[in-house]
Amino acid sequence: MTQTIQEPFQVPGYTLAVLAESLYLINLLLLPGLTFIILLWLYVKHENHSPPLASCHLRQTLVASVWAGLLLILINGIIIAMGGYKAPYTWVIAILYFTTCHSLLVLLGILGLAKAMAGKLFRYPLIGPVELR
Amino acid sequence: MQYSSQAVAKPYFIAAIGLFVGQILFGLIMGLQYVVGDFLFPAIPFNIARMVHTNLLIVWVLFGFMGAAYYLIPEEAEKELHSPLLAIVLFWTFLIAGVLTILGYLLMSYAKLAAFTGNSFLPTMGREFLEQPTITKIGIVIVALGFIYNVGMTVLQGRKTVVNLVLMTGLIGLAVMFLFSFYNPSNLVLDKYYWWWVVHLWVEGVWELILGSILAFVLIKITGVDREVIEKWLYVIIAMALITGIIGTGHHYYWIGTPEYWQWWGSVFSALEPLPFFLMTVFAFNMVNRRRREHPNKAATLWALGTAVMAFLGAGVWGFLHTLAPINYYTHGTQITAAHGHMAFYGAYVMIVLTIISYAMPLLRGRAANSNKAQVLEMWSFWLMSIAMVFITLFLTAAGILQVYLQRATDTPLAFMAVQEKVALFYWLRETAGLVFFIGLVIYLISFFVTGEQKLAVPAGATAMN
Repeated sequence: MTQTIQEPFQVPGYTLAVLAESLYLINLLLLPGLTFIILLWLYVKHENHSPPLASCHLRQTLVASVWAGLLLILINGIIIAMGGYKAPYTWVIAILYFTTCHSLLVLLGILGLAKAMAGKLFRYPLIGPVELR
Repeated sequence: MQYSSQAVAKPYFIAAIGLFVGQILFGLIMGLQYVVGDFLFPAIPFNIARMVHTNLLIVWVLFGFMGAAYYLIPEEAEKELHSPLLAIVLFWTFLIAGVLTILGYLLMSYAKLAAFTGNSFLPTMGREFLEQPTITKIGIVIVALGFIYNVGMTVLQGRKTVVNLVLMTGLIGLAVMFLFSFYNPSNLVLDKYYWWWVVHLWVEGVWELILGSILAFVLIKITGVDREVIEKWLYVIIAMALITGIIGTGHHYYWIGTPEYWQWWGSVFSALEPLPFFLMTVFAFNMVNRRRREHPNKAATLWALGTAVMAFLGAGVWGFLHTLAPINYYTHGTQITAAHGHMAFYGAYVMIVLTIISYAMPLLRGRAANSNKAQVLEMWSFWLMSIAMVFITLFLTAAGILQVYLQRATDTPLAFMAVQEKVALFYWLRETAGLVFFIGLVIYLISFFVTGEQKLAVPAGATAMN
């Protein structure tokens, strides 16, 4: 009996899953905001009636993008508002926080993209919703 | 181990690790001298400790690259190494020259070393990272030529794969670029201009080819993913590395007296330099996710993934942090540069050498993988060294941001040494993280001597789990 190995791109929902992860990364790295709107549109259009792989990655990337926005914009705003624009330590904390947080969010996106490209489900640690199905 | 001549890699790996220990010891001495200025003075002044720290790094990474090439090229070419004897002769030549050079730095004044080694006949000394006496530089060229001849003949007479061709391209590039260290014009702008052809085009050019090919080789072996898939990734990664890295040299030309257009060329191309590291991380995780076998050497898999992540952070993110000309105007030559340098070198080049050592050493010692006990210890060393390096980078970045603000950005700037006192806390924290790194390194060394139930040796021509 011959056993055929299924290639990742043959898994239903592969393209949409890779697209969702790519949009998450582009939102962080290249075109923030605009790419999030495209991701939101894809989520609304496909989430309920797409294969498990695609809906998982769509849901995860959308929630993670919202978290990314909060962590990067809101927290940094608070740091600067509390520390004051002219205080040197405000900049030490703000730049270190932004660089570390942004890098971690990008790394999570890379892990998500690698999983999607391997045709596998993925949950963003800490910030991704728990998958019930 | 499939070919007996691959065994010549072993002394190269051992020497690399030995010199690595020396590099870290001098790093610790220097880290302490940042806050206790007269520590070990006058026996080991700061400038000497720094020179030994950086030169040892370069030399041991080169030993690692050569060991990697001697290990993987016969396996890729499917034939024995052209001349194992030449490899051993070159090993001892390089090691003796390297050790004598370091002893020269430590035992006599730099000026006396220059006079003693006849620098006046062909002056090449006195430039950062290229401090080696001219005679040592000539020795390096001879070793490099013999090495490239040896591995080159092996590839020419054997199977040509993308992995060994990319590796050969990187190694030849390494040798060719080093020749610019002999060009030492009296015009300082011209000198710096070509100095970067050695320094930048090594670490952000041809060395990335070496990194990519070693990573691809290890991933082929540990994941069992089709070679064709991995080779396509490798092509894209090295293309991006060269497209961005060559003109990216311009980010060193902003303030050295070169034309202003370099501020645009340097900014645009070096802003793209994180791309190959981004792709490398996606590549490594994607291959491990698609693996078709569970390789018994878990530690090597961890090192391979760690290399991609830390290289992306250190070279990619921390490089981007200060690469745009308007930002670099303020950050140039501050501790932010040191932060980037530490994590980039560790992530990209230290870790790739430790990856190939982790994969190849058990095979060179006659087993597919070390015992679980040894691997657990090795993985502890991985986490200790990597986390310590993250903290070294963060503390140096904090020191750098404060330095930029107090010394350059504020309306009432302070003098350099006044600022150094203000950032001393971060230097102490960095030194503490450095000690943790050293503990990780000691555990790494111990892991080589831990015994236990070992995985069986791999028969010639077979892979571990097949």
